[in-house]
Order: sequence, then structure tokens, then C-alpha cells
Amino acid sequence: MSEKSLGKKLGLFKILIIAKKAGRVTRKYPFEKPLVTDEFRGKIEIDEKECIGCGACANACPPNALKLIKGENTFILQYFIGRCIYCWRCIDVCPTNAIKGTREFELATPDLNDLYESVVHDVIKCRECSKPIMTVKAKDYIISKVSVSENYIDLDPDCRKKHFLSSIEKRFSGGIE
Amino acid sequence: MSLEYLKKSIWVFHLNTGSCNACDIEVLDVLTPYFDAERFGVKLVVSPRHADAILLTGPITYESLPKVVKAIESAPRPRIIIALGSCACGGGIWYDTYSTIGGVPELLKILKEHNIEVDGVYYVPGCPVRPESIIYAIGLFKGLVEKKVKRKVKKAGF
Repeated sequence: MSEKSLGKKLGLFKILIIAKKAGRVTRKYPFEKPLVTDEFRGKIEIDEKECIGCGACANACPPNALKLIKGENTFILQYFIGRCIYCWRCIDVCPTNAIKGTREFELATPDLNDLYESVVHDVIKCRECSKPIMTVKAKDYIISKVSVSENYIDLDPDCRKKHFLSSIEKRFSGGIE
Repeated sequence: MSLEYLKKSIWVFHLNTGSCNACDIEVLDVLTPYFDAERFGVKLVVSPRHADAILLTGPITYESLPKVVKAIESAPRPRIIIALGSCACGGGIWYDTYSTIGGVPELLKILKEHNIEVDGVYYVPGCPVRPESIIYAIGLFKGLVEKKVKRKVKKAGF
């Protein structure tokens, strides 16, 4: 009995020796820098000077954390961090490289409103039916890429269709109504 | 919103509400000696009646909803909810599927209908959450670190 208890005590001593060899493994994290590698994907950052509001990121986003909300006078690109899965697909599809990935992960908050980020865009309207079509910056971007589009870019797709049909009608009827 | 009692040891009841288990593994990771959440007094308990905080992971399926409501109801006041991971914060990729209610913001509406009061909700986004992110959230309860995220509204310019 006494031998057994002595053995137990020695066993405890052995564990202490092993523990001393291993040293302290616990990270002091909130008081020191976290271990973040280059491969880590964190929250995205939208550069409002580069963003044209085309909605390509909103199309690609799997959980619709990025949304292009189409209003009458403004288009709002809304980013909800609470739903983001950090796949960084938006960065791949962005035509102007406006979206950049960060390594930020310290996003805890008691208020849900803190998790929203939005970019407000101005809108051009159709010259005939005055429906909002696209953002001003997207229009400029398209014209810079395809200069012919300047003639019809401020038309709603429906109005554009009507124009096309009426021009065909004119051609076949010889201009007679 | 800072709750004074959260600066003491928080006992947490962990409830999986239909998550993929990634967040649950990270919760387990936080309790290992490497990150060691118990140095802040955080401890997992087996019954919601012992808990100060209910830790929810997952987008809250319709199947788990009555159990979640029951667990929150049986936790003593003051009680808080911690939404862990993107699924709990806003529904994640399941936010509009047929079988989930879409995260804690929707759950709070349901709790309001049933007159169950909750004293605070903390959101910890991440998919899955990093262990450091959870420890940062614990530091936020205790007032050890400062809140970093803030609502931003930018105007597009040239």
C-alpha cells in the first residue's frame, strides 16, 4: 500500500519534470500578435474610388453577402460581413480590382449594424422611360472599353428593343406608317 | 452595450443548431491548452440552467428551433446569446433555404413574439471562426480589447 502511494507520488513528480521540459505552450493571444499566414483569407475591403457598381461581385457571391440594391436614384453595393464566407470570389471577378482581401478576422461585435458596409452609387436613367439603368461609373467604364456603345447606352433594354424593332419596320415598310 | 457581469467568469452552454461542425471544432480548439479559454474563466457547462451565455453555431434549422427556444428560455436571467460563425450571424450560405430560419437575427424576432427576453447578443463572424477570433470575442466581453468593426457608408467617387 505504502509502495503504491509512493509510486503515485513519484509519477506526479515525473509529470512535473515532463511539463517543465515542454514549457509553456499557451498563446498569450489578446496581448500578443496572432499567428496569421499569407494564405489566410479575411474580410474584404471595397475601394470606393475604383468600384463601378457593375454588380459582378454580387453575382458571384455564394451567400449573397454582397448585394447590389437597385433604388430609384442610387444603387447601393452592400456588404454584410456576418454572412460572408471569405471565399474571395468577388476579388477574382471584379473587373477594376476594386476589392482587396485583408487578413482581418477580429470582427466580433455586440451590434449587428457594425457588420454592414455600403458603397453608394449615382445612377443614369433611360432617356425615354426614365427607368434607372446602371451607375454613372459603369457607363463611363463601358464607353471606355467599347466606344460605339455611346449611341445607345442611355437607353433601357426594353426601349432599345423597341428602337430596333421600329427601325426594322421602317426598313421593310419603306418608311410608310 | 457593455454588461458588467460579463467581466466575471462566463459559463457557456454550447448548442449546435444545424451547423457543419467546423465552428464546433474551433470551440473545442479554444479549450485546448494551446489557446486555453479557461484562463479567462470561460467554461462549457452541460445544462442551460447553469449558463450565463448560450453559444449558438449554425443557421438554426426548423427542426432545432423549438429546442433552441427551450434552451434559451431555461437559462437564468441575465442571459446573453453568442452567435458564432457566419451561419449563426446572418444565415451563411443557407440564409434563404427552405429548412432554416436564417440565423440569430431571425431568431430574435421569434423570441420577441414569445416574450422571451435576451439581455445581449454578440456576433462573431468567420467561416469557420478562428480560435483567435473567439478569444478576441471573450476579450471584448471582458473589456480587454477594443471593438474594431464599424458601420461604413462610402460614396463612390473618382
